[in-house]
Amino acid sequence: MTSITDNRSSYRRIKHRAYEIMDGTVPDKYSHFVEVFVALLVVANVVGIILESVPHIHESFEAEFHAFDVFSVLVFSVEFVMRVWSYGEKYLVEKGSQWEGRKEYLFSFYGIIDFVSTVPFYLQLVFPGADLRVLRMFRLMRIFKLSRYNSAFEDMVAAVKAEKDSFSSAIFLLFISCLLFSSLIYIIEGHDQPEVFPSIPAAMHWFILTIISGWGNVDPVTFLGTVLVILTQILSIALAAILTGVVATAYTAQVERRHALYEMEVRAVLADGVVTEEEQAKLKVMQAKFGMSEDQVNAILHQMEEEKHISDAKKLKALEEKNT
Amino acid sequence: MISTVKTTLMEILDGSPKHRASHYVELVITFVVLVNCTAVILDSVPEIHAVYKDFFHELEFWSVMFFTVEYISRVWSLGAKYDHENGGSWKGRLQYIFSPFGLIDFFATMPHYLHMFFPALDLRILRVLRLLRILKLSKYNTALQDLFHAIHSERQAFGSAVFLLTIATIVSASLMHFAEGHAQPELFGTIPHSIYWAIVTITSGYGNVDATTKAGEAIALVTGFLGVCMAAIMTGIVASAFSNQVARKKAAFEAQLRAVFSDGHVSDDEQETLKRLQAHYRLSDQQVEAMMLSAKNKSTAKH
Repeated sequence: MTSITDNRSSYRRIKHRAYEIMDGTVPDKYSHFVEVFVALLVVANVVGIILESVPHIHESFEAEFHAFDVFSVLVFSVEFVMRVWSYGEKYLVEKGSQWEGRKEYLFSFYGIIDFVSTVPFYLQLVFPGADLRVLRMFRLMRIFKLSRYNSAFEDMVAAVKAEKDSFSSAIFLLFISCLLFSSLIYIIEGHDQPEVFPSIPAAMHWFILTIISGWGNVDPVTFLGTVLVILTQILSIALAAILTGVVATAYTAQVERRHALYEMEVRAVLADGVVTEEEQAKLKVMQAKFGMSEDQVNAILHQMEEEKHISDAKKLKALEEKNT
Repeated sequence: MISTVKTTLMEILDGSPKHRASHYVELVITFVVLVNCTAVILDSVPEIHAVYKDFFHELEFWSVMFFTVEYISRVWSLGAKYDHENGGSWKGRLQYIFSPFGLIDFFATMPHYLHMFFPALDLRILRVLRLLRILKLSKYNTALQDLFHAIHSERQAFGSAVFLLTIATIVSASLMHFAEGHAQPELFGTIPHSIYWAIVTITSGYGNVDATTKAGEAIALVTGFLGVCMAAIMTGIVASAFSNQVARKKAAFEAQLRAVFSDGHVSDDEQETLKRLQAHYRLSDQQVEAMMLSAKNKSTAKH
C-alpha cells in the first residue's frame, strides 16, 4: 500500500488510511478496534432500547438513558461522516471520481441503515412533537449495523442468489397453493362459518397460519372442508421440507464454492514454487473469512501435494523417455 | 517394560483400534454404566427401594470401586502420551483430568467418597452426580462425537444462524411492542415481554397470543414464517455439516488405505487394521470396497 501513496499529499494519505480503517479490508489493530467498539456500542444500544421499554426502569434511569443515547448518536454520526468522507478514496485510483465510492456507500444497505438509524435523532431536535415510537423503531435499526461484522446476511443473500431458481419455485408453489386453497375453503366453508371465512383475504390469513403452525385456529364443519384442511396441513409439512432441502443444498454448494476458491488460491500460491510470508498471510485471512477449519485446509494442501507428486512423476517419466 | 505396559494400557483405554482388548474394555464399561443408571432409576421407586435397598447399596459400592480403578489407570497410563521432550508424563495426565471426559469421570465417582466421610451430605445431589455416569458412554458413542465435531467444524455457520435468530427475535419483539403495546399492555407492554412472545412464535409457529391490530397481525404472520425459515436454515446446516463430516471421514480412511497399498501388497495385519478402522469410521462395506478399488487402481498405475 505504501508504495502507491508515496507521491500523494499527506491529506490524501490520511484519508486513505481512514478508508482502510473504516472499511476493515486490511485487517489490522486499528480497524479491529473500531469494529469492536462500534459493535459493542450497538449491542449496548439494543439492550438499552429493550430495558427502556420497561416502565419502572425507564422512570428510574431516564437521564442516564438520554445521556447514553446522545453519546451513541454522536459516535454514530462521527462514524457516518467519516465513512462518507473516506469512502471517496475507494475508486480514486482506478476511476478518478471521489463520489463514485461515496455514492456506492450512501445507497448501499449499510449506508441506508447507518443514515436511518442516526439521523432521526436530529429530526426530533428540530420537531420535538414527533411520535416517540417511530423514533424508537428507527433507533432499533442500529441492530442491523452489526451485520457488517457478521457475514450471516451476506452469506444468506449469496446462497439464495445462487439457488434463486429453487427458491423462486418454492415461493411460487406457496403462492399458487395459497390462492387455490384459500379460494376453495372460502367457497366450501364460507356459508357455514361466515364469521371465520368472510372473504378470500381472511381465508388467506387462515391458510398462512396453517402453513406456519400446522393448525389455523379453525375447525372445519363440512366434509370437504375437513379434507381441504388436512391437505393444507400436509402441504405445510411438504413446504417446510422443500425449504429445508433447498437451504441445505444452497449451503452445501456455498461451502463447495468456497473450497474451490481457496483451492484456486492455494494453487496460485504454489505455482511459483515459493510461499512468501505475504501469501501465507493472505491464505490465513481467506481461511478465516471462509470459516474453514485446519482439517479442511490440511486436506486441501495434502491433495495439492499429491497432485504435484503425480505431475512431477509424469514429467520425470517424459524426461526419461526423451533421454532414451 | 513398565513403559510398554503403560502405552498398551493407554491405547486400550483410549479405544484404539489396534488392540482387540479395547473393544472388551468398552463393552464392560458400557455394561456397568447401564446397570448403574438402571439402578438409580429403580432406586427412586419407594417400593423397590424398600425391598432391594441393601443390594443397591452393595452395587453402588462395587461400581465406585470399579470406576475408581478405571479413573486411576487412565490417569496413570496417560502419562505415556507425551515423552520427555514434549512435556513429560504429567502433560497427558493433566490434559485428561481437565478434559470434559476426565471431569465427568471424576465427578461421577468421587462424590461417593465424600459421602463416606460426611454422611450428612444431601443425598439428592449425590444421586444427580451418579446419573452423570451415563455421560461416560458418550466416550464410546461416536455418533455424539460426530455431532460435536460436525457442529464444531460448522461453528461459523451455526454462529451466523444464531445471530440471525437473535436479530429476528429482537426486531419482531420490538415491532410487536410498538404495534400492540397500547392495545395489550399486559402482554406487549415491555419489550422483554414481547421477546417471550417472539420466541414462542419463532419456535412453535403461531404464538399463544392473538394480535388485535392489523399491524400486529401482519408482524405475527411474518414472525411465524421467519420461524419456519429459521428451522429450515438450522436443519440445512446440520444436514450439510453431517455430509461434510462423512466426506472428511472418507478422506481419512482413504489416506490410510493409500498407506496400506503403497508397498504393493496387503498383509493380514494390515487387513485387520483396516477392518477396525472401518468400524471406527462407521463406513459401509460398499463404500470401503469402492475406495479400495480406486486405491488399487491408483497404486497399480503408479508401478
